[in-house]
Amino acid sequence: MSAAPAVSDRSTPRWRAWLLLAPMVAWLTLFVVVPTAILIVYSFCERDEVGRVLFTFTLENYHRVLDPVYLWIFARSIGYAGLTTVICIAVGYPVAYCIGRAREEWRQRLLLLVMVPFWTSFLIRTYAWITILKQEGLLNGLLHQLSPTASPLDLLYTPTAVVIGLVYAYLPFMILPIYGSVEKLDGSLIEAAHDLGAGPLRVFSAVIIPLTLPGIAAGTLLVFVPAVGMFAITDLMGGARVPLIGNVIQNQFMQARDWPFGAALGAVFMALFAVTYWVMLKFGAGEEETPA
Amino acid sequence: MKPLRLLLPALLALLVSAVAARAAGELNLFGWSEYIPQPVLDGFTKETGIKVNFETFASNEELLSKLVAGGGSYDLVQPSDYAAEVMIRQHLLSPLDPALLPNLKNLAPEFRQRPHDPAGRYTVPYMSGTVGIVVNTDRVKTPVRGYGDVFTPALKDRIVVLNDTREMVTWALYTLNLPINTITAENLARARPVVASWVKLVKVYDSDSPKTALLNGDVDVGVVWSGEAAILWKENKKFQYVIPAEGAHQFIDVLAIPANAKNKAAAHQLIDYILRPEVSVLISEAFPYTNPNLAARKLLSAEQLANPASYPPGHPKLETFRDIGKDAAAIDRLVTDLKSAQ
Repeated sequence: MSAAPAVSDRSTPRWRAWLLLAPMVAWLTLFVVVPTAILIVYSFCERDEVGRVLFTFTLENYHRVLDPVYLWIFARSIGYAGLTTVICIAVGYPVAYCIGRAREEWRQRLLLLVMVPFWTSFLIRTYAWITILKQEGLLNGLLHQLSPTASPLDLLYTPTAVVIGLVYAYLPFMILPIYGSVEKLDGSLIEAAHDLGAGPLRVFSAVIIPLTLPGIAAGTLLVFVPAVGMFAITDLMGGARVPLIGNVIQNQFMQARDWPFGAALGAVFMALFAVTYWVMLKFGAGEEETPA
Repeated sequence: MKPLRLLLPALLALLVSAVAARAAGELNLFGWSEYIPQPVLDGFTKETGIKVNFETFASNEELLSKLVAGGGSYDLVQPSDYAAEVMIRQHLLSPLDPALLPNLKNLAPEFRQRPHDPAGRYTVPYMSGTVGIVVNTDRVKTPVRGYGDVFTPALKDRIVVLNDTREMVTWALYTLNLPINTITAENLARARPVVASWVKLVKVYDSDSPKTALLNGDVDVGVVWSGEAAILWKENKKFQYVIPAEGAHQFIDVLAIPANAKNKAAAHQLIDYILRPEVSVLISEAFPYTNPNLAARKLLSAEQLANPASYPPGHPKLETFRDIGKDAAAIDRLVTDLKSAQ
């Protein structure tokens, strides 16, 4: 962050800089710009009875997106993702803080522990949760050992299971950026705050949190955005009882064979991310200006 | 020296088979993942020298969108009835030559000439199944005969159903004694309160492996593919399969040759090979669906034939799905709405 002004002092980037950027630009054009353009074009098209996309202009798909049924699903998806993000911050922040403040030789090992789950396929890890949470599963078996009279917990295929799955899947994406911020935290600033008479709570809220805010912001984006669109966890752990927007979109492209409507949902979904990102940027930038 | 001496014939055999494959040509097969057992394909290649390239799909919609878009070059495809109907209407299938399929005589007549292919000119049934009720009789002691016995408050949160909007609406239409293939706004309006009361009772929606929730003990009753129920019954006889008294959806997966197939001769050869009783029985062993091949059924064990999910007793009311085109959107919206509203 602090390096940014130094670079921008220079004159405009020359052709060599563009050459270095070329692979990235080509990649982005091919895999982001072009597909997005296709998505937007499709969202204004019609489909025939077989599911072929017909290139006749219509606003019908967006009209359907505004149907309260789908708006409500959008709202619920945001609610689930928001709750997931909040829990990830609450659980991930202390973890990231402890790792970031740990002794040098321990940090790498602890970080490794955060990343170990990535060595196994995401789907296998989700199925593992099913084994834990199911009625005759590990958790209920353990509870039965502890108190044989208690009735088994009914966790799998409930909204609680969905949130557990989402938090589990995205927690590392919260821990890693916060860790990055905590690691860079200047210990002398904390000491200075103590010397100036701030209590632990004040130090945390007035010094540590603002200094690690970029990490929290990055983590929030990394968790919130994919969590809104997740469909595998709601299907596997939630029993597909409550549709989230990811499930609805997936269904349009697969079972319903209605690509234009799926595209319209996708376009609105992307607009939503753009707005979230913009809000985060504004929020993040505003916070960073205060201490400066 | 010894390993080399062992290796040489193997190498030679490989070479010979490679040459044979080139001579006899290749066949591009597009089928459901894992639905055609590998030994069947290996046996075919061994006998004819035709190399089979097996590409797979996971849903009829995937197959349809690929064929409709003109993608892929397949010699043999494996759609379900209603998808085949769309493909016939769109002129995507090539008529079969019965002279090249002498083993057609092995098939039970009730699986041919169904509404999706009334003259039986384009498709050959591969396997068939139903969507019915599976009951864990250890846990559910009340008799279950139809949809009305499944979707009762007594079984709330103990039910698994297919995660398929059309299936659920079809069951509601059966309960109301309405036609399942004529979707009108009026009929959907009548089905709506029925489906609405059902979604409040269901615990899991799963089309891929509904047996999992039953096996895990998370639910006690399900409306699922008969193949899933047959596997459950094989696992434990407490899982009983019932064809709903109100009527049930029957699906017939078929083999068909795309209009643009390059090797139609080889495709006919593979169809006829699959229709042989001793080959067809291999499919029954791997997938306990209803085998339309009567000659193959004679080779099944008594236990296999007694599996009520594979060979339901009596004469239940069974109907296949017809393609309903854009009406699917109305069904999709209805069920999404009701699931979302709880």
